[in-house]
Amino acid sequence: MLKNSKDITIDELISCVSNLKYRGFRFVTASCADNRDGTFSLYYHFDKQLELENIALTVSRDTAIPCITTLYLCAFLVENEMKELFGLTIENIAIDYEGRMFLTEDAPREPMTYGANILIERKEEES
Amino acid sequence: MEDNSFNSLIPFGPQHPVLPEPIQIKLVLEDEKIISAEPAIGYVHRGLEKLAEKKDIHQSIYVVERICGICSFMHALCYCQGLEELTGTEVPPRARYLRTIWGELHRTHSHLLWLGLMADSYGFESLFYQCWRIREKVLDIMEATAGSRVIISANILGGVRRDIGPDMLGHIQKTAKEIADSLRDIEKVFLNDYTVCHRTQGIGILTKEEAYELGAVGPVLRASGVPQDVRSLGYAAYGELDFEPATETAGDSYARTKVRLKELRNALSLIIQAAEKIPEGEISVKLARKPEGETVSRLEQPRGECLYYIKANGTDVLSRVRVRTPTFANIPALLKMLPGHQLSALPVILLSIDPCISCTER
Repeated sequence: MLKNSKDITIDELISCVSNLKYRGFRFVTASCADNRDGTFSLYYHFDKQLELENIALTVSRDTAIPCITTLYLCAFLVENEMKELFGLTIENIAIDYEGRMFLTEDAPREPMTYGANILIERKEEES
Repeated sequence: MEDNSFNSLIPFGPQHPVLPEPIQIKLVLEDEKIISAEPAIGYVHRGLEKLAEKKDIHQSIYVVERICGICSFMHALCYCQGLEELTGTEVPPRARYLRTIWGELHRTHSHLLWLGLMADSYGFESLFYQCWRIREKVLDIMEATAGSRVIISANILGGVRRDIGPDMLGHIQKTAKEIADSLRDIEKVFLNDYTVCHRTQGIGILTKEEAYELGAVGPVLRASGVPQDVRSLGYAAYGELDFEPATETAGDSYARTKVRLKELRNALSLIIQAAEKIPEGEISVKLARKPEGETVSRLEQPRGECLYYIKANGTDVLSRVRVRTPTFANIPALLKMLPGHQLSALPVILLSIDPCISCTER
């Protein structure tokens, strides 16, 4: 569990983010981690005068996560990143890259998930 | 009178003479005026966060160092600080000072590199050469102290790999003073030259409220009047050194240049102070235990606040390493700065955030 972290449910996300915005917090970023049990931990990080506050929630792959770009437009990049790299369902992102922000068509799907078939191979040395 | 203006869509980048790295800005123009902009990234995505989950905690230092060539030391430091917190390891004071010296050397060479690129963006080639000529002195120090010019691999978990002797510390102080003297000449040009001022003043304005709202960081945020600098938290040896965040209020490209010039002087002052005050003692300790739990580690890179979210599971391989780099945070602010300007101002505005796309995409 992170320091200065508050556990919330998905239904509380928008009201909680609104509250932080009202209190003058700046959106820093969001982080996502695969819990390896079919769920994902999501953290939204906010900052005010260098004090970091975190909102934590646990979601499953199919949970419809409301986007927070209506409150913090700058969240659109990280929301696209989480949607693309973890396969999360984030709805109505202000600028939605539809899974093509980082990844090309032939790239592995949801590469940051635990079960993703990512092989690390050493390149053959050129003679 | 008939309105003959029309909108056109122009893809700027990913290959463009002014861009040091690949990003595409999709521009909607009305004649030559920018109406809106949308970024397209993904040209250098390398999946380094995933790689850091495949390597052990010591090998991953080399992985995170390669997120960015320019601030490689800072990435390693942010990562190490996070793991040191998770393992309850106290870094020896001498190592904290050495980290500060190398960190500020990185800030110095990064800002000088940026000043050169900025000069290049408005076609001032001789100024570009002068900035990079001064930068060479910093790279020489890094080579002499760590064996490499840019990716110096000086950080290890629990401290630093190498010490700096008293003679070299004296040389570093002397060189920092020489660089501070050399800065006077280029400062005059950046701050007073008619052409430079014409290209930067009033260009790409970001108000204080916009900068804060859009999550801007580093010199972009401070040039809009927000005195936020993560070094104020006192990590490494910053809490024991005299330091004030550099700020400006105009929020334009000129203010961002001015902030970086002030930060150069601050960085040189911090290097001199740290070299004077550095205590004797060990330069590293072993980690107290295996890392377990979650943490957020932050520090101030040359381009702004960098954040690492680290999740560990009690083994030598981490469950998650998430990196939020400064340019990632500054892209929304860039999109706000562009509309209303002529296409010719785009290179200057884009360079004014000091974009690092390798960092952004990881």
